[in-house]
Parts: sequence; C-alpha cells; structure tokens
Amino acid sequence: MTEPLLQIQQVSKSYYHKTGWFRGRRSLALEPISFDLQAGETLAIMGETGSGKSTLAKLIAGVEVPSSGQFLLRGELLEPYNYQQRCRHIRMIFQDSLSSLNQQTTIGQQLLEPLRFNTLLTLAEQQQKVLTTLRQVGLLPEHYNFYPHMLSSGQQQRVCIARAIILEPQIIVADEALVALDPSIRAQIINLILDLQQDMGISFILISHSAEIVKHVADKILIMHHGKLVEFGTTEALLSNPQQPLTRLLLGIE
Amino acid sequence: MNVLDIRNLTIEIDSDNGPIRLVDGLSLQIAEGEIHTLVGESGSGKSLLAKAILGFINPRWRVTADRLWWRHYDLLALTAEQRRTITGRDMAMIFQNPSSYLDPNSSIGEQLQECIPTEDIKGFYFRRRAELKIRAERLLHRVGIKDHDTVMRAYPFELSDGVAQKVSIAMAIAHNPKLLIADEPTNAMEPQTRGQIYRLLSKLNASQGMSVLMITQDLSAIIPESKRISMVYCGQLMEVGTPQQLVEQPLHPYTEAMLSMSLTNHQTPAKSRLPTLTGSIPTMANLPIGCRLGPRCGYARRACIDTPRLRKLKQHQFACHYPLIEVKNYD
Repeated sequence: MTEPLLQIQQVSKSYYHKTGWFRGRRSLALEPISFDLQAGETLAIMGETGSGKSTLAKLIAGVEVPSSGQFLLRGELLEPYNYQQRCRHIRMIFQDSLSSLNQQTTIGQQLLEPLRFNTLLTLAEQQQKVLTTLRQVGLLPEHYNFYPHMLSSGQQQRVCIARAIILEPQIIVADEALVALDPSIRAQIINLILDLQQDMGISFILISHSAEIVKHVADKILIMHHGKLVEFGTTEALLSNPQQPLTRLLLGIE
Repeated sequence: MNVLDIRNLTIEIDSDNGPIRLVDGLSLQIAEGEIHTLVGESGSGKSLLAKAILGFINPRWRVTADRLWWRHYDLLALTAEQRRTITGRDMAMIFQNPSSYLDPNSSIGEQLQECIPTEDIKGFYFRRRAELKIRAERLLHRVGIKDHDTVMRAYPFELSDGVAQKVSIAMAIAHNPKLLIADEPTNAMEPQTRGQIYRLLSKLNASQGMSVLMITQDLSAIIPESKRISMVYCGQLMEVGTPQQLVEQPLHPYTEAMLSMSLTNHQTPAKSRLPTLTGSIPTMANLPIGCRLGPRCGYARRACIDTPRLRKLKQHQFACHYPLIEVKNYD
C-alpha cells in the first residue's frame, strides 16, 4: 500500500447560530469523518440535499475552516487560512461556470491571476503557460482576449477547468460541475476530465447526484447522510454489494 | 383526435444581418390525453415553441404557421383577448426553477387560493373563504402533499425544490386544464425528486385525461409513460417517434448521438471516452444553412446544405437525407 495522497483525519464542521444576546446553538453540519484519497483516483461523494457533501467539498478546498480535525497531503499538514499552500495542491470547479468567472475581465487575465500570485514566473512565461493550458482544455489561443459572455456554456466550463489546472494541482474538487450542461457538452467535459486525469495524474473529488456519471467516472464512492459517512468503498464493491438501503437508492440499484 | 395541431411553425426575429429563424418549420401534434416529450439541448427553440403555443409572444418575434390549432380554434386568427380566454381556460405551464417563479412575498396558501376559479363558489364572505381554503387543501392533497397546513403557511424560500414544484403543479391544475406544458420541470433536481414529479404528472395524465407536453434536455430523463418523443436541434425537427422506435432503431444521426452519449446504456465500460458530437451548439447569430446539424454530423454530405424534408415511415418521422438504415417506402 502506497502512501495516500490526501488523508482526512476526524474532520468536522459545526455552525453557531445566535438565538439571543448571550445564548447560541451549535449545529453539526458534518460529523467527524476520516478517509484517504489515493493519487490519480476519482472519488465521488453522493448524498441527498443537506447531507453535508458540499460542506465537505468546501472544507477540502479550504473555502471553509474545519471545526476539528486536519488534512494531511502526502504527510504534510495543510494549514487552515494558508490559501497559497492550499491552492497549489487543491483547486475547485463550481456548478454555474458563468457566475464563477469574472464578467469584466478577459479569459487571459483571469487565467494569469493565479500564476501572478502563486508562482515566480516572468510575465512572458506566464502568458505562455496560459496559452498552453487553453490548448490543453480544447480552446484556442484566440480565446485569450475573449470575455466570458462571448463563450458558449461548454467553453465557459472549459475555462473553469483551465483555471483549476493552471497551477498543476494534485486534487480538483468539482461541486456539481456537470449538472447544468447540455448532454452533448457534458459528454465532452467528461472526456476532458478523463484525459486530464490520464495525462497529469490528477485526483478528482466529484460531488454529484447523477448515478450514471458517478458509475462512469468514479473509482471510489462515498455516501453521506445527515452529515455522517454511511458507506465508503470502490465503485465495483458498492455496485455489486451495497450494504445500506440509501446506497441502493442513490445508485439506482433495484 | 389531436387537441393541438401545429404545422410548420416558424419564429423569426430581425437582426442587423437580416432575419434569423429561431424556430424553423416545426410540426407537432398532441392527441387527447397523451404525454408528448420534446427533447432538445439549449438553444433548440423548445421553450420558444411553448411560449408560441401559450401566446407569450414578444412583439419582436414574427410567428407564422401553416396551422396552429387548439381543438377547433385557429389560435393565430383570434384576437389577443379571445386567445387569452381560451389558453387561460385550457392550458397551464410549469417552469424550471419553481421557487423562483413563486411570489417570495406572500405565503403558499395565499398564492394557491388566488389561482382557484371562484365563479361557482356561492354564499357569504366567510362561507366563500372557508370553501376556498378547503379547495386549496384538496389541491395540495391531489399533488401528494399531506401536510397541507405547514405548506400553506410557508413562504417559497422555506420549501424544498420538489415540494415547490408540486405546489406549482397544484396551481397549474387548479382550473383543470386540458394541456399542461412542463418546461424542464426537473432540471438539476435529484433523481428521487425527479421520479416523484414524473409519477405525479403521469398520474394526473391518467386520472384526468390531461395532455402533457414535457420539455426536457436529456433523452435519458423522459417520463416512461410518454407516447411520443420529438427531437429538436437548433429549431429544426430531427425525428419524431415512440420511445421504443427511437431507442431500437433511430433513423437520425442526432438521435443516435444523443442515445450513445446518455450514460444509461451499460455497454460503455467505466472510465472510457464517451462518443460525442464534435464542436458546440451554434449560436443564434451563426446558424448553418440547410440541416443545422450538418457541421457536427459525422454522416453529412453535400446534399445536407439543403434543409431535409420531414419524411414518414409508419408513424416514425425523420428529417435527414441519409437516414441510418436504408429506407425505401416512405412518404
């Protein structure tokens, strides 16, 4: 057994609601959860609405800070609030690609920004890197000067993927990134994700409620319910021998 | 008998470079008590078609049709007011994001009671009010909401997607319409909720004989009870047939591509590349001439620069010069 890429150790998240001047109530969105992610594998997180799957994704991407527990990347601690460290290893893609892009600057500028803040490349090298990344996700160098609204929804999603891979991360977290796309575009994006995984060895954490997509791309599946881990295993194991009724329901097994 | 009969519906808008045909010669027939599914990707003009049927027409659009008949009314020959009376009485529509179509400022109960026709409620004020409340509760029961008190008192933001969509269905069926147009009612919903909404729609269809025009994006997400499917691409009709005909022997390359892309057929091994149509959906400003699938179609040849006629083979219609199997006796 090789060393896992990402170790998630007893991570939990709770929110504090004020109910009076001095009183408050603590609600647990995610109960302590531990699992490992291997390099180059795709983990799908499934669950009903409000099961804490998006909370887990945000915690992994560093958008939110866990209430307890820690993340270890190849044995090295990922510190909370250290966004430079986090974004070099873990990047995120969102559901609505148009609203996650800045409407007011060009695609090229938006792709330059992560490089400017996180690398020591010169401007010429940065621009070169943007152009190669654009080509990698199936766009053209001309798209450098385009604004987001000039692209179709599939191309916008490609830009989001380009922004995620431009820092050569090891993990990409995709929160419902494939739901809102048209079927023909969705198939193209799934192909792109599979190609990138093969070429760059990226691990994907995919949040989805579509059983078909999960069955196709995932190596392992994690089922959540009310902030708790219900079942975790390889796709074949869960498909052939699901232990929980919820797993059968979510994966559509009769 | 066909309740809705549309032949050659064309919607055009003017632009700087001449008129653009958003919908190009669509034909659609819906029989009484039938579920008809319209499948098309974004920009295929499927929502425009729904709007043209209901008469939500932007003054900039030019709507022309050889025939746009609802039962024995010619909808295009009527004045706007007459048309509104007929469509308001006989048709209803539900939309994609139910919670955004409900009024955020008033409770579900108030909104629901507003939709209920009051002509046949007799009596004094309090009596009428009590009757209205009972009818609203009965409507909620009909769409499968048992806990009517909580839902009636709730505001739209408090409801989950599935319940909000059920409430909007309840509003739509308040005046017993003959045709319900459902514009992607379950897009981005969980499969379980989607199943509930589909079962509800097919139950209403079976028990009340209500025709349903179901508009959806994905061929793998259609109501199992639907009688016929129309495939639309960029405003052109590609293929029409029963679900069985389309799945077993698609005649149009577009249907074949959509079928192979849907992940429900289990032939594709996990983690393999999926077959796709190359390129992306053309924008309205640069539509190709002739068959609009042409530039993305693997079978396209020279003749495809002419728009193919809709041809018929035993109730299975298709618009393609080079259908996937050799077709001899069509008309």
